[in-house]
Amino acid sequence: MTEEIPVWRIKYLPKNLEDVCGREKVIKRLKETIKQGNFPHLMFVGSEGIGKTTIAQLFSKEFLGKYYTANFRLVHANIPLTEQERNQAKAGTYISKSKIGSQAGRRITMPAFIKVKIKPFVQLKAFGDAPFKVLIVKNFETLGPNQQGFRRLMETYGSNCRMILITTKISGIIDPIVSRCQLFLISQAEFSSFKKLIEDIAKKESLVLEDNVIDILYKISEGKISRAIDLLQLCSITGKNIDMNSLYENSQKFQKDLTRSLLLVALKGDFNKCRELSRKIISTYKYNSHELFAELLTEVNKLPISKFARCKIIEMVSNADYRALDGMDTDIQVSALLSKLCVLSESL
Amino acid sequence: MLPWVEKYRPKSIKEMALPTAKVSGHNVDLAEDLKKFVRDFFKVMRKVNEENKQIRAHNRTVPEKEQKDELEIPPDKAAVLLEGPPGIGKTSIVYALANDLSMEVIETNASDTRTRDALERKLKETTKSRGIMDFIVQTKEKLILIDEVDGIYGNNDRGAVPTIINLIQKTQFPIIMCSNEYKQSLSSLYNKIRKFEVHPLSNTEVIKIAKNILRKEGIKSMHEDDLELIAEKNRGDLRGVINDLQGINQGMDKGDIELLGSLRRDSTEEIFALIRELFQNVATLREARELTDKSDVDYNFLYKWVSENLPTFIKQNENIANAYENLSLADQIFGRIRKNMYWSLLPYFYDLFAGGVVIPGKEPKTQGFRRVVFPRFSASGRSLSIAEKSLVEKIQEKYDVSQTEIIQDFLPFLRIICESSRKQLKIMSDWLELDAKEKKVVKKN
Repeated sequence: MTEEIPVWRIKYLPKNLEDVCGREKVIKRLKETIKQGNFPHLMFVGSEGIGKTTIAQLFSKEFLGKYYTANFRLVHANIPLTEQERNQAKAGTYISKSKIGSQAGRRITMPAFIKVKIKPFVQLKAFGDAPFKVLIVKNFETLGPNQQGFRRLMETYGSNCRMILITTKISGIIDPIVSRCQLFLISQAEFSSFKKLIEDIAKKESLVLEDNVIDILYKISEGKISRAIDLLQLCSITGKNIDMNSLYENSQKFQKDLTRSLLLVALKGDFNKCRELSRKIISTYKYNSHELFAELLTEVNKLPISKFARCKIIEMVSNADYRALDGMDTDIQVSALLSKLCVLSESL
Repeated sequence: MLPWVEKYRPKSIKEMALPTAKVSGHNVDLAEDLKKFVRDFFKVMRKVNEENKQIRAHNRTVPEKEQKDELEIPPDKAAVLLEGPPGIGKTSIVYALANDLSMEVIETNASDTRTRDALERKLKETTKSRGIMDFIVQTKEKLILIDEVDGIYGNNDRGAVPTIINLIQKTQFPIIMCSNEYKQSLSSLYNKIRKFEVHPLSNTEVIKIAKNILRKEGIKSMHEDDLELIAEKNRGDLRGVINDLQGINQGMDKGDIELLGSLRRDSTEEIFALIRELFQNVATLREARELTDKSDVDYNFLYKWVSENLPTFIKQNENIANAYENLSLADQIFGRIRKNMYWSLLPYFYDLFAGGVVIPGKEPKTQGFRRVVFPRFSASGRSLSIAEKSLVEKIQEKYDVSQTEIIQDFLPFLRIICESSRKQLKIMSDWLELDAKEKKVVKKN
């Protein structure tokens, strides 16, 4: 018996594909694939936080069996390279002058991300008896123009390494990549299986759930099981009996509400206060400007305000996001948006 | 009338107060080393040229395949770099040295000529070829001075760095470069040549020189204390001291000793004053432009100062919004300038971040003293503090997801849990084996 894990979301993480809550169709397809021992490049599409990566990881684990650790890699496309990695990428490949051809004496450059994170893995031969390696690339759509580099990679090294691309927005991925992959749409867990999972946890943790609590939990968590479990654990601290009140109280404490309160403070018209708050949010969650504006946008759609004001705010947010794309200083762009919101508050 | 700085620029190394210098950590005699460098250069150059002559002669006699390449002078023999804070005599020592060896200095301020073409035009002619007059009249040997190397904004595609490296390889004359600080973009240059770290003069030496100048100018009214104050303010920047002395001297006629205070060259003080002036007195675009032109505050930071202090001086929401509209546009333009090297957009940036911020406001200007603060906040992407980093790593041992997910999704939850009770905090920190600093990160909210 290993030590007790105090965080439920980790404790109840599915250990194999059968444990995954809901999504029977997808799991069935994946199991069939494992039986056949072969698969093309895959692409998992689905909204944020519903378990795409977990499923992909479990799938590769079961597929590769004991060769899993040596032949598997998970890469995040949206994490910036470290200083060291960037320097490593800078050392370009130099083609000797003695070679024949127009490339002689040139320095070949390739996108740093591909060079440092992808190439070294896919180039090396699969280890042991594994048929091929498995590479998972998360948030693939954030690669932008670097996606082009994957076209050749997927063909050249396809026999040695299969890729599982994970994305939330298939529209952000260029067509040639999509056509090279088999698509898997990962949907939200159905309510029935969600209910089963929560009831199971409740039994193990000896919680008493009131009626409707699971319904509400399903709604609040927006299909993100990890969030639902978090909420459940939070409620359990105050008492083993969980009713609607404690659920609502605890859900108030969650992250997204900080960005909401930023909007609310701005719409009260206190510029200094909301600038402070925006800085606090950025330093806590390490948002880049785009992520912050995206959060704000989702919150705007939930605010109880008139159609006119909503349109106006969305216009402002989009404008700020556009400028931040070129700009050097996130803080200035965020402050500019907030100052406009403060003005808007006077006409509401 | 020459400014004092030019008037008292040393003509010879002997009359100079030599700053101390180090090469890779060892003290060296700057003047002797530079002299030796110049002499050695011509020795090596003569040798290389003679050998090249033979090679050329050889090449004429054999078919193309067997021809040898011509030799190039090794970069560390061709150029040296002087690195140190402004105003301590880097440029002066080069001129004094040239004067002593009766050489001619060809100077380029790298910050004027930013593009590759401009630099090439100015330098290539003088380095590669000798004019026809050189064969008839015995002209002076030349010394090339590339000042403010760190002012070059370079990347490998557009910048001047490859040009300089190329120049060093092809040069016929010794090259001395000056630079204020280490620049990452110039690292390929640093690797090739010898770097002298030049250190500022001590205050006593600075005062000695200042007294000397005052005696020559026939000024007796300066107090010892004031001199010390000036020397202290400038921290070894001799040029700054001389400029200050001249400034005070021109104001001293009115006997206005308080001028001292306003002549401080301390850069943060200068920014404070500039920000106040900008928000409280500037009324027209021209005034704003003059103010930003006059100051030598780095505009990379100046507009951040403007942003930070904006709500201190502008109070009404509408005016804040108008100001920020222009400031955010300025930021966007600045981003384009830096990313694409569109330097021609720079005037818009200047007008927008200074004039564009203070002029649109319709409210009366704030009066009296307002506290100006540092730009405290820089949202530099996802850089984590050391404690945060180690915390994330510890979590990743137990829960294998990405750093972003931990920060944005898991850590907030962990914070809420830990806040709820002491017992929970203990359970979590025991489980993750956190130390005190990491616990602080978890508790902070």
